[in-house]
Amino acid sequence: MTPIPRRTRRTLSPPAAALTAAASGGLSRRALLGTGAAASAGLALSACAPPAPPSGGPSSLKLPTDVSDTEKILKWSNWTAYLDMNGKETKSPTLTAFMEQTGIDVSYSEDIEDNDSYYAKVAPQLRAGQSIDRDIFTLTDWMATRVIRDQLCQPLELIQMPNVVGNLLQPLKDASFDPGRAHSITWQSGFAGIGYNRDKVGRELKSLDDLWTDDLKGRIVVLSEFRDTAALVMQSQGVDIESDWGRAEFENAVGFIEQKIDEGYIRKVKGNSYLEDLTSGNAVAGITWSGDIFVLAYDTQDPSWTFTIPESGGTLWSDNMMVPITSTRRRNAQRLMDYYYDPAVAAQVAAWVNYVCPVDGAQAEMEKIDPDLAESPWIFPTAEFIADNNIQQFRVLNSDEDIEYSDMWSSNVMGN
Amino acid sequence: MTALAHAAVDPGGVDPAPPAPEAAKRSWTAYLLLLPGVLWLGVFFLLPLVQLAAVSLQSRYPGFAGYYYRDLNFANYASALTDYAPHFARSFLYAGLATLLAFALAYPLAYAMAFKAGKWRNLMMICVIAPFFTSFILRTFAWSQILADEGWVVGGLELLHLLPGGQIINTPVAVVAGLTYNFLPFMVLPIYASLERADPRVIEAGGDLYANGFTTFRTVTLPMSMPGVLAGTLLTFIPAAGDFVNMELLGPQQGKMVGNVINDQFLAIPGGYPVAAALSFTLMAAILVMVFLYVRRFGTEELV
Amino acid sequence: MAGFKEAQGDLRLESVTKTFGDFVAVDDIDLHVPRGSFFALLGPSGCGKTTTLRMIAGLEQPTSGRVLIGDTDLTGSRPYERPVNTVFQSYALFPHLTIRDNVAFGPKRRKAADAATLAADALELVQMTQFAGRKPAQLSGGQQQRVALARALVNHPEVLLLDEPLGALDLKLRREMQVELKRIQTEVGLTFIHVTHDQEEAMTMADTVAVMNKGTIEQLGAPADLYDLPRTRFVANFLGQANTGVGAIEGTDGDHLVADVLGTKVRINKARSQVHDGNVLFGVRPEKVQVSRTKPDGVGNDVKGVVRDVSFLGVATSYLVDMPSGTTWSCYEQNLDVDPIDLRPGDEVWLTWNPGHAFGVAAEDQ
Repeated sequence: MTPIPRRTRRTLSPPAAALTAAASGGLSRRALLGTGAAASAGLALSACAPPAPPSGGPSSLKLPTDVSDTEKILKWSNWTAYLDMNGKETKSPTLTAFMEQTGIDVSYSEDIEDNDSYYAKVAPQLRAGQSIDRDIFTLTDWMATRVIRDQLCQPLELIQMPNVVGNLLQPLKDASFDPGRAHSITWQSGFAGIGYNRDKVGRELKSLDDLWTDDLKGRIVVLSEFRDTAALVMQSQGVDIESDWGRAEFENAVGFIEQKIDEGYIRKVKGNSYLEDLTSGNAVAGITWSGDIFVLAYDTQDPSWTFTIPESGGTLWSDNMMVPITSTRRRNAQRLMDYYYDPAVAAQVAAWVNYVCPVDGAQAEMEKIDPDLAESPWIFPTAEFIADNNIQQFRVLNSDEDIEYSDMWSSNVMGN
Repeated sequence: MTALAHAAVDPGGVDPAPPAPEAAKRSWTAYLLLLPGVLWLGVFFLLPLVQLAAVSLQSRYPGFAGYYYRDLNFANYASALTDYAPHFARSFLYAGLATLLAFALAYPLAYAMAFKAGKWRNLMMICVIAPFFTSFILRTFAWSQILADEGWVVGGLELLHLLPGGQIINTPVAVVAGLTYNFLPFMVLPIYASLERADPRVIEAGGDLYANGFTTFRTVTLPMSMPGVLAGTLLTFIPAAGDFVNMELLGPQQGKMVGNVINDQFLAIPGGYPVAAALSFTLMAAILVMVFLYVRRFGTEELV
Repeated sequence: MAGFKEAQGDLRLESVTKTFGDFVAVDDIDLHVPRGSFFALLGPSGCGKTTTLRMIAGLEQPTSGRVLIGDTDLTGSRPYERPVNTVFQSYALFPHLTIRDNVAFGPKRRKAADAATLAADALELVQMTQFAGRKPAQLSGGQQQRVALARALVNHPEVLLLDEPLGALDLKLRREMQVELKRIQTEVGLTFIHVTHDQEEAMTMADTVAVMNKGTIEQLGAPADLYDLPRTRFVANFLGQANTGVGAIEGTDGDHLVADVLGTKVRINKARSQVHDGNVLFGVRPEKVQVSRTKPDGVGNDVKGVVRDVSFLGVATSYLVDMPSGTTWSCYEQNLDVDPIDLRPGDEVWLTWNPGHAFGVAAEDQ
């Protein structure tokens, strides 16, 4: 029996100034002042009262003492099928090499099912200052935004990571949610677009509108992540998703998707197991992630599985490694992050996972492994490729928007 | 010692009737024996319940996703009852259908195991229990594969022209079937236990006293197994009403059950905790009321 | 009621055989039970008596043979089609029904308009009226027993079957119920067939006892006749106690056979012996043997032995006496005299009996 693949990746945050307002900006803080009294009253009433929200400011941050020198251990949470594996899929060659080089014993867990559920699980513990028994977790940009804003991860010492400083792709160096990458290092990036089986569909799919035809009715699956699905629909409706769009634009997209569900075109909205629907034949096309479709084509030995960016555009997102605020082995974590920014190592991983590699120089290394992959725009996209295909990043939502849109998405698309 | 036991029990909220004079000697032993259970209930049931109730009345911090403050925000309940009324209705409908179906399947099975199976009884028992050895989610997932559009079940039915839609999975039918399948053992085992416990001579007595096979079943066998039927229906209906896995893996995109809404509110919506807690509480209360009415109507003195 | 057979008359089993796989539970038995009699089927467990009962009830079907009441052949009919009711061993009351509803169950199934009245009358008969509203679990064993009886009697069956009905009761209650059952049977005048392994119970209550062994009826008759003159070794041993010994028949002496039992010459009335030559199992009941210190005069058989044990039982004294042949006899002496016979273990005594009380059966079971 195959386990349910659970991969949800979410879109990269915008380079927009919106973040400043979202993090601990004036608006939020003012709102907080108004409710502060109620919060203290609640605390006085009972020990079960929720924790006070972060007061903001690095001065309040207390880091645990680092014991990396004595504890040669590292515990890493990641997503499934997101690291190179040997033939039997039991060990990762790059990880084994790292352990041999450094003497650090790495325990690798594919225990992130999706951003929300992982965050829901660890955040209360981290806020209470408790260990979550992990030294690295790997979360998508918008979730990284939240983690950094809530001060649930530690600042990183870039000076200890020469490979990262030297090889992190220029556009990623100044991610809007983590300027100067003081808290997070990109693991992989990827695209959301249209994935489909050309043989079963019987034609090329070029735009989202190509999905809504009678022969594909009920055979379409889309991602439950609104930062991908709603984003692609918004793009097809002519919205610039990086710009400062508002509630009306989002509502339009949600309404459109809801209609396609009601009319029976979209069979399921899935985060985690949409690949199973493609494999089992319940669905033959949908809004999917890039790497998955390449892995699917490889696993099923069916080259008619195709990934394409719709004419109206697609999204680009990244997953980021961070050190939980309560970890005592940050130095070990930094050594691992730096290791994976060695271009040769990065190329090895990219050749297996088929997602966008964030490491400068990996393309040259890839030439040695597989020249075809070195030319793949899905792994090494050029700026022209991004621009020509209108590949964008969903803008960062402030906290209120986050709640409002999640709610709207959940009640109209997910949980209706 | 007696005083100690009293003192330890009282905070748990148990207030036993004053012991009769002759029972006074035994009473502290009874309290002492109750103590672990009361503590267990207090720590692992009552406290979380209080916590859940507290969460269900909290309000979100504006501007801080995932943060709440203590409040008496009954709007969460209003939202649970109005926005999600159809989900509650659907949950109870599907759980009710699954319970009826499970009963229809389980009773003959339990009956055969108790009275007709002979040497096959143990094998049948193993077959009933065997699914418990694999994860509930994996089993449901396996059904999503079996019932897939290009699977042999759909293929076979289409060949026989029995399935005009060409689709089983992602329909309410699949959800009810999945619920029925997953909770069937909970129906079979109590019914089997009560039938197996029934003295076969009592059933023979029905025949001896001029009741034919069907009448004996209706007037003797079925009433005698009612404690098992009652337990089985409760054990099926209650978890089925709160289930979200079957809907998640087998159900359609539209028309979710309340369990899915709770799951989404907890996991997918920043700041969804209070509404999720209010939904959980409402579900719990609704089930309690239904169970109470049901047991009052069909209950026997003893439950299994 | 569809299929119901309104049979009346004597109960007859004709060449009835029942096998379960290779096991022959009941082996070609014939039985005739006159209407209105109290009939006991007596035998050890596994002798086929309960299977016989269940075939009469219709709970089992015979492998071959016929079951009739009067001229109506009931073979093959279902239990609910027969004018027969059973009092089950463990009473088998319906646990979910009140006593009243338990008793009214049969009349209701037969669509009797006055089911409630009938049930009340039946409860009256067994003196259980005040418990009518209770559930079976709230009653004692003896009370349940009465209810089970009422539940069967209320239907006025042509034949009432009782399957070890007193087995679960303590001794005192059992005695009471034996008398009670006999009273009721006399009062209602139904045919009772009573299955038991307790020979005393069978003899106390039944007009006729059939002793069963290994699926066959060994002997059938009035209790006193069975006791006085058993016709097989099995009956001799199963029904009451007997002092027995195997001997060879050596000749005759007038009306009597003379046999040598391990060195002692004994006489048996010819009419009381089932065999007249070869080996014989000689027997005499303990209460028929007199014990005395001196050799008595008279025509009886006598033999000298040594007292092994003396038990004073109140109405009688029981002696165990070692015989010269090596066997041990038991004897009951009624305590008629003011002064009891003062015997102790080790004393030499003479045992005497009237040869007319002795019996002879085949030495080996057939």
